[in-house]
Amino acid sequence: MIKTKRGVSRRNFLKGAAGAAAAGAVGTTITGFPHIAGAQAKTIRIGMPTILSGRVAILGTSSRSAVQLAVQQFNEAGGLNGRTIEVIYRDSKGRPDEAAKVTRDLINNDGCEIIIDGEASSGSFAVQEVIRELPVLCLHTCSESSTLTADPKLHVKTAFRSARQGVHDAVAGGRYASELSKQKGLKRWMTCSPDYAYGRDNTAEFLEYAKKFDPSIEVLDQVWPKLFQPDYTENITKILQVQPQAMYSALWGGDLVAFIEQGNLYGLFNNITYFSGGLGDPPVLTAIKQLPVGLHTVYRYNELYPNNPENAAFAAGYKKLANQEPTNWSWQNYLATSFIFEALKRTNGNTEGAALAAEVKGMEIASPFAVEGKITMRDSDHTIIGYPAAWGVTVPKFPYVENFQSVPWSEILELEAEWKKSKGYA
Amino acid sequence: MWAQSSRRDLALAALLLIALVALPYIFPHPAMRDFIIYVIAYGLLAMSLNLLVGFTGLVSFGHAAYFASGAYIFGLLMQSGEVSIPVAMLATVGGTALLALVIGAICVRLHEIYFAFLTLAFQMFIHSVILTWVSLTGGDQGLMGGIPRPPFLGIDLGNSMTLYMFCVVLFVICLVIMRQIVQSPFGYTLRMIRDNPRRANFLGVNVVAMKLAIFVIAGAIASVGGIVMALFVSGAYPEFAFWTTSGEAIFMIMLGGTQLFLGPLVGAILLQTLNHFVTIYTEHHGLVLGIVILIFVLGLRRGLADYVYELIQSRKAAAAEPKPRAEPAQATFTDETRLADKGANT
Repeated sequence: MIKTKRGVSRRNFLKGAAGAAAAGAVGTTITGFPHIAGAQAKTIRIGMPTILSGRVAILGTSSRSAVQLAVQQFNEAGGLNGRTIEVIYRDSKGRPDEAAKVTRDLINNDGCEIIIDGEASSGSFAVQEVIRELPVLCLHTCSESSTLTADPKLHVKTAFRSARQGVHDAVAGGRYASELSKQKGLKRWMTCSPDYAYGRDNTAEFLEYAKKFDPSIEVLDQVWPKLFQPDYTENITKILQVQPQAMYSALWGGDLVAFIEQGNLYGLFNNITYFSGGLGDPPVLTAIKQLPVGLHTVYRYNELYPNNPENAAFAAGYKKLANQEPTNWSWQNYLATSFIFEALKRTNGNTEGAALAAEVKGMEIASPFAVEGKITMRDSDHTIIGYPAAWGVTVPKFPYVENFQSVPWSEILELEAEWKKSKGYA
Repeated sequence: MWAQSSRRDLALAALLLIALVALPYIFPHPAMRDFIIYVIAYGLLAMSLNLLVGFTGLVSFGHAAYFASGAYIFGLLMQSGEVSIPVAMLATVGGTALLALVIGAICVRLHEIYFAFLTLAFQMFIHSVILTWVSLTGGDQGLMGGIPRPPFLGIDLGNSMTLYMFCVVLFVICLVIMRQIVQSPFGYTLRMIRDNPRRANFLGVNVVAMKLAIFVIAGAIASVGGIVMALFVSGAYPEFAFWTTSGEAIFMIMLGGTQLFLGPLVGAILLQTLNHFVTIYTEHHGLVLGIVILIFVLGLRRGLADYVYELIQSRKAAAAEPKPRAEPAQATFTDETRLADKGANT
């Protein structure tokens, strides 16, 4: 007699249960728990893709600390009619595709209703395309690439930039450098910038405006060390060989620290007037063991400039929370939260992207970082104006950079308009 | 026999397609679709690489070059506004195949480490071209402005559900093609070249031509992964062509296994799942992933799929055999070659 098995055997039952559990686990974890729609949620969720690992992790960690500080202050002050804000941070590892995926995930899976994009340039372009498809309010806080907001083809209605912009810095830098060149007779120039698009573009724009203001400037040579190059001996000896009177460098972060340390060994800065597009960040300034006196740098951040109690309070709060000096990215992110909080107040907590964007567009904020009273989120191209586009000179001790000279924004805007026309953006 | 096997494979592919199509209706969350599209893109990269590594014994360190080529050619064609999506896709696959043909013609004549390093050199050359040809590629900022997706034949890839379905269909088509290749006489010739190229040569096989053919096919399929990624992120970035992307594909193969057809796909799912969750909880994801890979390499000594398959086979064999006799011990299934002979067909 054939014995027919009925029902489910123990082995099959266990197999089935394990399979169902695995499918359930994968399903739940990937799909996430259903989030409550923004209008009803007590907590407002903000997502922040940024770079938290690798060589430029300081970009993400200093951005994150600034947002943490702002949100902590906002929540402690009672939030928005009792509603608090929660920020979810994700590491994109500096990869644009990962930035896009993580941003989609923050919106679709974690229920984030606002995005603070703490990505470097290429990542921010990737995030911009996600926002085009999933139109929540987005503030780019680290990308300095002018194209992101200047090019009308890239325009996204709910995306804004709360960060300095390359062309603004180029105008301010060119104007500042040309005044010194005229004053000191600095005719023979050289450049030393990292060999990638940002380094080359930034250097070209600086020289364009420096020459515009002082046509007698002549560039004798240009050297292009690789990004993250550990040894600059070859470049330094080349500069010493050419013997320029002045030089511009777009080196930044650890590369700049290494370049200055190695330059000190050769006495590079004794007879050359040095202009830097990246030295002004306090962590960079403090990382250099012997900071040469008299180097000229663009403002990145300084707790004594703009010299007001709010800026000093920001620096103190940041240092207490992060246990390090604020960076350029820190103030930009802190400023971004100010736009977001104000927009949320004006919409009475409505987190719908279009509603928030309508409020942020053209918004003027009395910020600790404003040099002419307020910082404005310009409505025409969704980028900020009125922030410190200034240059200063290094001193060996705190505050490391002083004697900041700000270029009037009216002049920057005038030349920016010309630049836009030349690029076909206006 | 082959026809029967093909019919079975086609039936399995149809089942997979139905399952993937049904999935968003069971788990309607968009994040699930995003995750699957991401896995499809990297899965195609890893599986196409395994055509070289696992089935032919060609360890390429520069396979991501074709992934990037797919993303860039497709993105540039779509941004030109001159062609439709299907035409752009065909041109992309054709263009990448041509690129692989040129690079492969130089590389496949070399052996082992020389082959590996030359493929890496070509990949870094392409990466440098992408970075420096700013007017065309956007340099280090990538292709900006998004990739237009004009509707074609009533299919609108601007709709995220349609995009998912499109990617799933594309994926299954590529799976079927790859499966047919590895199961064909050509596929078995590749295994022979992998195991003993000299013998293959003595038997009249044109080893260089065979290697070149699979190199081109693998490159073309990797470009489909690149197209899927470009559609997903609506852009193309130089990171796609960086050596770390090839490294990730190799990690996927190591995690999943080289001997089973679907091994690299298992690896892609594992790596992306690990990446997804580890990144949520820690910034030290490199450390965690490193430990996991170490466990696989030192503990399992092979990919997960290979390990599970071997385990199942050894249990089956143990169950089928009569009680142990006092005879010399039989060879076990731990022999990789034996696994390859049996498992590669699976």
